[in-house]
Amino acid sequence: MAETLTLKAEARDQIGTRAARAIRAAGRLPAIIYGHGEGVQTVTLEHHEVEVALEHGAHTLHIELAGKSQQCLIKDVQYDHMNATPVHMDLTRVDLDERVKVTVGIELRGTPKGATHGGLLDLHMSAIELECRVTDIPEVVRPIVTELEVGDSLLVKDLDLPEGVNPTGDPNERIVTIHAPVTAVSDDEATEESEDGGVEPERIGRVRKDEEEGKSGS
Amino acid sequence: MAMMPKRVKWRKSQRGKIRGVAQRGNKVAFGEYGLQVLSGGWITARQIEAGRVAATHFLRREGRVYVRIFPHKPVSAKPLETRMGKGKAEPAYWVACVREGAVIYEIGGVEEEIARGALMRVANKMPYRCRFVKRRHGL
Repeated sequence: MAETLTLKAEARDQIGTRAARAIRAAGRLPAIIYGHGEGVQTVTLEHHEVEVALEHGAHTLHIELAGKSQQCLIKDVQYDHMNATPVHMDLTRVDLDERVKVTVGIELRGTPKGATHGGLLDLHMSAIELECRVTDIPEVVRPIVTELEVGDSLLVKDLDLPEGVNPTGDPNERIVTIHAPVTAVSDDEATEESEDGGVEPERIGRVRKDEEEGKSGS
Repeated sequence: MAMMPKRVKWRKSQRGKIRGVAQRGNKVAFGEYGLQVLSGGWITARQIEAGRVAATHFLRREGRVYVRIFPHKPVSAKPLETRMGKGKAEPAYWVACVREGAVIYEIGGVEEEIARGALMRVANKMPYRCRFVKRRHGL
């Protein structure tokens, strides 16, 4: 599990697009804290600190707000249209011994034997939902795929997860498959008919008679 | 073969405007690495095909290339030495309308360095500036 970072939060009373934009322009990130029967608290966090935490695969944070520290789980992060910069963060209050559902990334380890023999590695799941204690959340799941041959699949039930960490989804769901090499159409053949505009697509629906005549006449 | 729709309801379309930024199709969803456009506009079917061929050649049939855009829009062009008027010209080629931030190609099943090399070649064939992006795992 990644080390839990401590971030200083400031309460914010202004909500809405304009206020959020002003906060972002000032180098801070609007966020919201909720859960555990307490009230909803809108806060701002230091943008750079949040980015560092996310970069290090953090799932939980210590949030210091008005001299009080609380353990929070990162529930959701919204990114901008370039999917690069966080624009908002949802945090939920948790206890250290609480069991939670989190989505953890999957990072494959090794090169499958099948892939070296011309097979194609197809990753079906890039993240998996797990249920575990807050203190046991893995930073990332790293299955070793070196033994996979062509035609083999790695299933959710094959994952070697730490004790107390359970996947919530279907245990027979595929994570990775090694497909047999595909004999694709060669690019030379594919580009033979690359003259676009040569053939027109079929028209859907009734075509007006005069339009059809005009087309054949031109 | 350059892509174009199999069936259309209307043969010709108006030019339209591309407003705003990509609100969807802006994440790497199928492969591990992607190419994201940094400005919006039209990408012709020929350019899309050129990019696909460049990536496939670079990868030497390894991995998998995903093309995330499709040229739905017909563009009309008048023949040379034709007087103006006499109605809208015949469709000449097909384009895909992309907004800033759209992921246009993706590659999966290869190492990052190989994917980066392939997508940089594709970027050189694109009419807009592009950047290499990786899939975001988890949060």
